Amino acid sequence: MTATLQNLHGNHACAMGAIAAGCRFFAGYPITPSSEIAERMSRELPLVGGTFVQMEDEIASIAAVLGASSGGIKSMTATSGPGFSLKQENIGLAAMAEIPCVIANVMRGGPSTGMPTRPSQGDIMQARWGSHGDRPVIALAPASVKEIYDQTIRAFNLSERYRMPVVLLFDQVVSHLLEPVELADRSSLQLVERQWAKGPSAEFEPFARTADGVPPMPRPGDGLRTHTTGLTHGEDGFPSQDPEVATRVTQRLLDKIEHGRADIEAYECHDTDDAEILVVACGISARAARAAVRQARAKGIAAGLFRPITLWPFPEEALKAALGKAKAILVPEMNAGQLVLEIERICGHDLAVEGLNRIDGQAIAPAEISQRIEELAGK
Amino acid sequence: MSNMEIRFGGSGGQGLILSGRLLFQAFVMDGKHAAQSQSYEPTSRGGFCNADLVVSEGEVDYPLVSAIDYLVLLDQIGVAPSAAMINPGALVLSDSRLVPAPPTGEFTLHQAPFTDEAIALGSHRAANVVALGTLVALSGICGRDTVTEAVRAGTPKAFVDLNLDALRRGFEIADELAPAEAGAKVVQL
Repeated sequence: MTATLQNLHGNHACAMGAIAAGCRFFAGYPITPSSEIAERMSRELPLVGGTFVQMEDEIASIAAVLGASSGGIKSMTATSGPGFSLKQENIGLAAMAEIPCVIANVMRGGPSTGMPTRPSQGDIMQARWGSHGDRPVIALAPASVKEIYDQTIRAFNLSERYRMPVVLLFDQVVSHLLEPVELADRSSLQLVERQWAKGPSAEFEPFARTADGVPPMPRPGDGLRTHTTGLTHGEDGFPSQDPEVATRVTQRLLDKIEHGRADIEAYECHDTDDAEILVVACGISARAARAAVRQARAKGIAAGLFRPITLWPFPEEALKAALGKAKAILVPEMNAGQLVLEIERICGHDLAVEGLNRIDGQAIAPAEISQRIEELAGK
Repeated sequence: MSNMEIRFGGSGGQGLILSGRLLFQAFVMDGKHAAQSQSYEPTSRGGFCNADLVVSEGEVDYPLVSAIDYLVLLDQIGVAPSAAMINPGALVLSDSRLVPAPPTGEFTLHQAPFTDEAIALGSHRAANVVALGTLVALSGICGRDTVTEAVRAGTPKAFVDLNLDALRRGFEIADELAPAEAGAKVVQL
C-alpha cells in the first residue's frame, strides 16, 4: 500500500475524505467554522463529475441532500450548531425513510448563534436527541485531522450500510487545525456501496424485513415502486398506525444499529489496563486528556484515557471493560455537562463520575485536567 | 516530551495564519512533527487573530499553545491575549510602530519596523513574511533555506517575488538586530 503525506486543514480533510468515500453531491449553506468544507467541496466535486449546490438556507440544504441520496448518489452537507438545529426535522425524515446521508457539524459556542469562532462540544446531546421520536443515531467525533479524513469515509460507509443519516461532530479546534496526514492510497480504501433492490416488481416491498434489518433500496429507474414518507409505514411503504406494525417497523430501525454495534463502535484506550483514575473525553478535549494522562503517569499516578470515536451509539461494553481498576472517572468536555450524563448512566452506580466543564469558548487545557486527576488521586 | 510553542499574534487580515502555515511547512520539510491552529474573532478585519504552532519530537498531543517560546506581535490588539502565556526566556518580536506597548517580562524583546519595511518593499501585506524571516534567522528554529523553500512553495504566484524579498529583508533585520544572537535557540528540539 502506498501512502502520500499531505498537510491538511481539518475541514479540508473532511471534504477530501468525502470525495474518497464516493460522495458526489454536496448541498450546504456556509457557516463558521464549517465553511471550508463547502468551499473545498465546491472545488473538488466538479473535478470528479459531482455536483455542488449552495442552497438558500440550511433546511433546503439537507432537503436537497435527501433528494440526491434518494436518487442514488452519496450525499452530504456541512454546518455548525445553528444550522444543525435547522436540519433536525429532515434528519429525522432521513432516519424514518432510511435515506443514507452524512451531516458534518462543526460545533461552536452556543446556544443560538452563540460564539461563531469559538470551539465547543455543546451539540453532543443534540446529535443524540435533536430530532424527535425514537430513531437510530450514529455520531462520530474525530480528534485529529487524520481522523477527520478516516471517520468521514467511515461515516459514508456506515450511512450506506445501515441506510441512515450519520453525523460527524467536529470541534472548531480540530476542524481548523493544520497537521501532516498520511493518506492511504485510494485503491486500498474499503468502501461500502448501497445494496440495491432486485427482483420482480409485483411482490416488491421497499421496506422488507431482511436478515440484517436493512432493506435493499430501490434505485430510481430500475422499475421498482417505492413510497417515501415520514409517517410510520409498513413494509410496503404506506402509512400505518396499526400497533403491531408500528412496533415492528420502529423496532427494526432501532435494531439496525443495535445489531451493528461491533461494526459501528470505535474507541481508543490509553493506559487503561491499570488506571485508577479514568478520563473519558472526545475530540480536542481528548487530546488535552492524553497529554494530562501522560503528565500524571510521569508523577506516578495510575491514570488512563478512554476516548470514544463513535459517540452514538456509545461504546458501552468497551468502556465497562476499561473500568478494571478505576476508582473515579473524570469527564472533561466543552459544555455544561453532556457526555458525563451517559458515563453516569453506564457506570455511575459503582463509581464516582465527575465532570470538568468549560462553556467560555475556550478549549480545556491539559493542565486543568492533570490538576483534577491529581486531586482525585489524593495527591 | 519536550515541545516548542510559537505564536503569530495581531489583527485579522495581517496574514498571520499564512505565516503560521509557511513555518509549519518548513518544520514538516525538516521532518518535525507540528500542528498549526488558529483563533480569531468573527470580524474578518481588525479583531485579534492568533496563528499558533506546536512542534514536537513525536506526534503532537495537544495542539494549542499555553507557554509560548516564540512570539511575533504585529498589532497591539495581539498583546493582551498572549501576554500571560509567554514562557520565561522566550523570544518576542514586535512591530515597532503598530505595537506601541509591547509586553514586558522575563524574556528577550526585539522591536523592529516589520510593517514599514514591508511598505518600503511594495506592500504592507508582506509584513507577516518580513517578521517570519526575522524570527527564523534570529531563533534558528529552522534553516533559512528551508523557510525560503516553504515561502516559495506556499505563496500564490503573484506574490512570490514580493514574499521572497520580504523574507530576505527579515533575515537582514535579524542580522542587524542581534548579530551575536542570530541562530541562538530558546528551545532545543
